[in-house]
Amino acid sequence: MHLTWIDTLIISIYFVFVVGIGYLLKRKIKSSGDFLMSGRRIPLWITSLAFISANLGAQEVLGMAASGAKYGIMTSHFYWIGAIPAMVFLGLFMMPFYYGSKARSVPEYLALRFDEKTRGLNAITFAIMTLFSSGISLYALALLLETLLGWSFGFSILLSAGIVMVYTTLGGLTSAIYNEVLQFFLIVLGIVPLVYAGLHRVGGWEGIQAALPPTFTHAWTYMGSASENPMNVDVWSLTVGLGFVLSFGYWCTDFLVVQRAMAAHSLSSARRTPLIAAIPKLLLPFVVIFPGLIALALMKISSSSGHTFQLPLKPDGRVDYDMTLPSLLSYFYPTGLLGVGLTALMASFMSGMAGNVTAFNSVWTYDIYQAYFKKQATDEHYLRVGKLTTIIGILFSIATAYFAKSFNNIMDLLQLVFGFVNAPLFATFLLGMFWKRTTANGAFWGLISGTVTAAVIHGITFAEGKGGWLVSVPLHMFTSAMAQAFGIAIAAWSSCFVMTAVISLWTTPKKDSEMIGLVYSLTEKSKDSTEHWYLHPLFIASFVIACTLICNLMFF
Amino acid sequence: MKYLNDLRFIIGLFFLIVSLILIFTGFFVHNSPLTDQSGNLNLYTGIGMLTFSALMLAASIANHQDS
Repeated sequence: MHLTWIDTLIISIYFVFVVGIGYLLKRKIKSSGDFLMSGRRIPLWITSLAFISANLGAQEVLGMAASGAKYGIMTSHFYWIGAIPAMVFLGLFMMPFYYGSKARSVPEYLALRFDEKTRGLNAITFAIMTLFSSGISLYALALLLETLLGWSFGFSILLSAGIVMVYTTLGGLTSAIYNEVLQFFLIVLGIVPLVYAGLHRVGGWEGIQAALPPTFTHAWTYMGSASENPMNVDVWSLTVGLGFVLSFGYWCTDFLVVQRAMAAHSLSSARRTPLIAAIPKLLLPFVVIFPGLIALALMKISSSSGHTFQLPLKPDGRVDYDMTLPSLLSYFYPTGLLGVGLTALMASFMSGMAGNVTAFNSVWTYDIYQAYFKKQATDEHYLRVGKLTTIIGILFSIATAYFAKSFNNIMDLLQLVFGFVNAPLFATFLLGMFWKRTTANGAFWGLISGTVTAAVIHGITFAEGKGGWLVSVPLHMFTSAMAQAFGIAIAAWSSCFVMTAVISLWTTPKKDSEMIGLVYSLTEKSKDSTEHWYLHPLFIASFVIACTLICNLMFF
Repeated sequence: MKYLNDLRFIIGLFFLIVSLILIFTGFFVHNSPLTDQSGNLNLYTGIGMLTFSALMLAASIANHQDS
């Protein structure tokens, strides 16, 4: 891929703007609350877009295009089943507890509802997880820039990490959120022309349908049996594993996304943040998955028409689906727009990294440092710790990126372990928020039990070369690694749910008076003071669910 | 200076600059026949971004006049 001075100019302008946003926000940072929580004064439209943009990292933009090419329109399940219902649930039922309890983070909610050991477990695993995710994002960006533009690995890492460090250290969470909104528009407006040009070339959706087998253009028709669809998962694994356990576990409990809603200026806005974010989220498959389908159709069409479009191969000879989006950018985009497209890719990486770093510094400062190292210090002290943590977090991400370069398998292992930790978490929150009998010991041992169950199931089952490390002959073979991940998630969640409930029945719960504002049955239901009926959370939720059903039916 | 506190203004300004570069490129920089098959993408995208930036800038200015 060859960049001209025009493309470089566009990339440079973007860098100036993201750093400029941090610089402009610097003078608004007066306290640790301003730096780590945006002072809880961000308008609704900004928190909503930041909510999805924090998740719109590199893994999403590149990964979903790759999955689109690998699995077809079935990839939309990660949105229409694997995200929207959970976002609606978060807005309608869970945000009042996160926001109303005045907790500054998700682990702090666990401290208020349960105890310090449950908070500590969640805070430490989350802090480690976010740092490694940030490092993986950085590693992937450097690898991409090295492959596409020939930039050295070290230069790419220092440039992108340096820019994220400058704007997050200057403006804290507000700067990260503001930049996420800019990055959201850039990603969408930078990739939409590619979808337009691609659809134009392959003859629209009809052209894709004509070029690809029907299993790639139907989301539900071939879900009856795992062997009939490209994902090799059945409808049970998909709806329960992805649509319930993993989706609700991520969208309803991961502080990285919940933090954006908690930065809103009122409870009403905090509730509506995930609901309004669900509207663009609903449409994102057309931006990030369609390029994968276009690439596949283009390969079929180009082989018969003489024009050549091919996805690159990995050293082992398999197709490198991760290069789907960069290959299409290189194929379709002229000078100028190529700069915009590349900037959009860089924005997605930086958005993911900044999201992880700002979530990490809040959890470290409030849930680890303040809780365990220095309880009574001045606010100035915590502000300094927050800024220092941002710098250390980014330096650690850089180290992780280099570590990943040397030991790529180690990163796969870490991601697997984090999956074990995350899967049971939603059971803890569900019981904690909606069953006042849930006790601290029940929650803690339930989480441990869920994690251990996930590891054991992975150790005794096998799929696509993964798992089976506990036994010489696996007890069960999953149809695919994805089916295995969904199966493990279901087992981990169930184990956590049952163990938490059983131990809670044997141990003493907190007094009712200590759980007001933290548990559904003990909290007064506040009426939403929204002026207009169409801004009411229930109306937005109904609208989003109806649109989701329509999208599923359109591609049934 | 007061407009720089408004994210809509900053986003509008960014896309205004980028859209002008794309429109300029669309008119004056020659592309390969392959990339031109879908029309003048730089020009179309530039116009789209210009419209978007105008909306963002107008929203920001209207908000400041109201307050």
